[in-house]
Amino acid sequence: MAVPTAEGTGGRKASRFSQDGSVLGLLVKVLGLSAIVGLLTYTGWRLLGDGAYAFAAAFFITALFFTLVFVRKSTVPLRWIMPGLVFLILFQLYPIFFTVYTAFTNYSTGRNVEKPAAIAAIERLTYVPEGSPAWGWTPLQADDGSAAVWIIDPADGAAYLAVPDEDLVPAAEVNGLQLDANGAPASMDGFTVLPNNQRFLFVSANQGVTFGDEERGVQVTSSTEARQTRQRYVYDPELDAMIDQRDGTIFVSQMGIFTAEDGSTLAPGYPVWVGVENFTSIITNPAIRGPFFTIFIWTFIWAFFSVLETFILGLLLALNMNSPNIPFQRILRVLLIVPYAIPAFITVKVWVGLLNPVLGVIGSAWNPGWFTDPFWAKIGILMVNLWLGYPYMFLIITGALQSIPGDIYEAARVDGAGPFYQFRRLTLPLLMVSIGPLLIGSFAFNFNNFAIIDLYNSGGPPIPGSATPAGYTDILISYTYRIAFGGARGNDYGLAAAISIIIFAIVATVTILNFRFTGQLEEVSENV
Amino acid sequence: MYRRNWSIVIALLVVASMLLAACGGGAEPTPVPAATEAPAAAAPTEAPAAEAPTEAPAAEEPTVAPTEPPAAEEPTMAPTEAPAAGAACPAGSPTLTIWADKERNAALLTIQDQVLAETGVCLDLQEVGFGDIRSNVSLAAPAGEGPDIFVGANDWLGELAANGVPAEMDLGAKAADFDPVSLQAFTFDGKLLGLPYAVENVAFVCNSDLVPTPPTTYDELKTMAQEMQDAGTVQQFFGLMAGDPYHQEPINTAFGGYIFGQTETGYDACDVGLDSQGAIDYLTWIDGMVKDGLLSADVTWDTAHTLFDTGDAACMITGPWAIQRFQDAGINFSIGAVPGQAQPGSPFVGVQGFMVNAFSDDRVLAQSFLTDYIATQPVMEALYETGDRPPAYLPARGVMDETATAFAAVTESGHPMPNIVAMSAVWSSWGDAIVTVFQQSATPEQAAATAAQQVRAAAGCE
Repeated sequence: MAVPTAEGTGGRKASRFSQDGSVLGLLVKVLGLSAIVGLLTYTGWRLLGDGAYAFAAAFFITALFFTLVFVRKSTVPLRWIMPGLVFLILFQLYPIFFTVYTAFTNYSTGRNVEKPAAIAAIERLTYVPEGSPAWGWTPLQADDGSAAVWIIDPADGAAYLAVPDEDLVPAAEVNGLQLDANGAPASMDGFTVLPNNQRFLFVSANQGVTFGDEERGVQVTSSTEARQTRQRYVYDPELDAMIDQRDGTIFVSQMGIFTAEDGSTLAPGYPVWVGVENFTSIITNPAIRGPFFTIFIWTFIWAFFSVLETFILGLLLALNMNSPNIPFQRILRVLLIVPYAIPAFITVKVWVGLLNPVLGVIGSAWNPGWFTDPFWAKIGILMVNLWLGYPYMFLIITGALQSIPGDIYEAARVDGAGPFYQFRRLTLPLLMVSIGPLLIGSFAFNFNNFAIIDLYNSGGPPIPGSATPAGYTDILISYTYRIAFGGARGNDYGLAAAISIIIFAIVATVTILNFRFTGQLEEVSENV
Repeated sequence: MYRRNWSIVIALLVVASMLLAACGGGAEPTPVPAATEAPAAAAPTEAPAAEAPTEAPAAEEPTVAPTEPPAAEEPTMAPTEAPAAGAACPAGSPTLTIWADKERNAALLTIQDQVLAETGVCLDLQEVGFGDIRSNVSLAAPAGEGPDIFVGANDWLGELAANGVPAEMDLGAKAADFDPVSLQAFTFDGKLLGLPYAVENVAFVCNSDLVPTPPTTYDELKTMAQEMQDAGTVQQFFGLMAGDPYHQEPINTAFGGYIFGQTETGYDACDVGLDSQGAIDYLTWIDGMVKDGLLSADVTWDTAHTLFDTGDAACMITGPWAIQRFQDAGINFSIGAVPGQAQPGSPFVGVQGFMVNAFSDDRVLAQSFLTDYIATQPVMEALYETGDRPPAYLPARGVMDETATAFAAVTESGHPMPNIVAMSAVWSSWGDAIVTVFQQSATPEQAAATAAQQVRAAAGCE
């Protein structure tokens, strides 16, 4: 809104709204602030109309926060990071809040709208009373411009003039009626017969309009037919139920779905608060618990070895490339990071092709069961991840090596340390100071590396006899994805949110422990 | 100074906010909440490429998807905005927004001007990737942002109907013009929820040079495979990919197996036939073929088709999407009915159709447009020309080429792919069971029992 000045950022006792005191400047600032706050409020208001209360609240809170920051003296420095903070609230904090909230609801396929929207959708359903005819209709326009229809029962030829909210007028009582050769009206007093090419426009303009009285009135249901459609379900707020107008069946709201006594249901439903049910079902439901332990262990093995193997290869290459004696050093360095530059999606599929037992270059020559043997599938996927992951390690280790001062090696040589001793006591500890946090990041990334698992073999080969579909290379995230989205009940967002919170807890714990570990390394470095 | 500014700011803020809020009070809701959920829902229910028929054509269409406009942008377009091609909508003319994929969009473009001229209704054609329609429509429709009409596949119905998205369809007298299987496929819970335009199924394709007379039973197939593989004529006689329920359904049904039992109103999710005697017989046949070296766990979708391309496989079960590559490879092939065994084999029939958004204010207009303009010979023929699948609308079948005619002949023996939500559990559980038999890590009985138990547990009917 304005360029930061020493006065502004310093928060001195000058006015926040004008450094020069000009009225124009003040006006511009106030209007700018109004526009932003207005936009946020307006968006929140519209969301409120949709029943998205939580998201609307996030917008209102953001708007309030914005206003406070800009009018309060003590928060002046915050102004300059406000845009960032706003995005943080709306696109980071809110999704986290929403995920946690969702974990305590049964939000899923069939329960994907808010309650008012679900009720409105069900109340739009109609029915045609039994025995009522499918009328043919002709569009009419009254002299005052309002719409009416001429309806004919195709069975017996009985015809009526139908005007909204009035009794049907039998053909015999219509003044000045002229019929054409087909029995359709050509003209009548007080009304103009609209040509056939106006039918669609007439349908469009009169959707939901009942022509005739409440009892016998009709609605146009297609370009040629009119039916006695009636609203099928009416919501009763006292019972919290939908009443079927046709036969009186009561559909009581049960866990967000209107359900009749015989078990039949109405769609759509809405999510309701279910407390910790999603979390307890992870523990108690045998279908979910089934191969959980096997997958849990493999997830750790997978993430640990992924980090270890890429670190070792990256380290070896970086140490080699760091030596001044290597010819074509620059070109080789570039070539070594090429796998990092190619999208992983392509690389994994190329490897899957190479390992293909029938057509692949590697697989057709040597196939211990790259996709079918539980052990070798794991080896295969670790191998692919080695290819994908070592350039990253190579890159960061190369950078870290170059930041280690050369004089300490000199000192070590003077003290009589050999190359291996230098590596073990100098290079590695100093590397770990800067690389350690990145290794933890790499661990957390691979812990949730859904893409490679899914692309390699979709978690296969399958574990025979497991209570729920699972494969030997499935990790927690791919396994839970299967449960939450591949199950027989559609997409279970509530369960998925609950599981993702548990995965977050695991990753957070591992990360904290690891940070403690690297914290100790820092102490080591201080002693070097 | 300080006080005065304070009050001015607050006053202006209140006025500005109220003005803005008042202006927008009756406007349509924003798609923002949908956007935050979209990533989670983007792909979840899609079965792997080779499994679900709506996905199977992906093998020939993958280059299409990335170039398509992101679907999330679509709903924000003003309804009166001019379509990409064709005449701009006249101000005030009623508009029908249609989500269709590239091929269907091309066919609809041909009638856009005609519809506007004859009825005054403007078609706002928006191109959305076929798979994206499924996930986006469930989120956009309830928010009032969805299209009036969208194309889709019959196996989406379980999910869409649970979300109340498709409106009931009344084809009137025109119902008689549609392939009964296609109407059955779009019937959910006793209600017709779509207007079908194309049917799609696999057939038995054989290399005519290698197999002049295709086998008619699986016993016969096994004998021929044994002979030709012993003679070294082919690498693997029967190019059957390991573990794919979609392509193997005709074998399963030939042995008398079934997936879900049928009731009057549709499929019964709790009547799981995966461990029926027929299904076990089918897995036993696979097991025997694998043990005799006639089928292999290593054959994937790509492998099977490549083997056939090169003449290293003599017969396979595949769909119309593979025909072009066989022709390009110069293979001389026949397309015929899938072999029988205990009974005739019956492939899944996937059906694509137009659905009306139940949340749309223009439902009646949309329905009228579909029955009056889409369910007509010229449009159905145009849809065939761009989509290359047998039309579900029988009067349009006259324009089919030889390939489409051959596949359409097999459609009659097929059954609609189950459209209930529980089917998504079948793709993974039944797929895994077949794989374990191919890999010899489970006996047919064990595999069948595991799959059936998994599906029953997932559907909550034990």
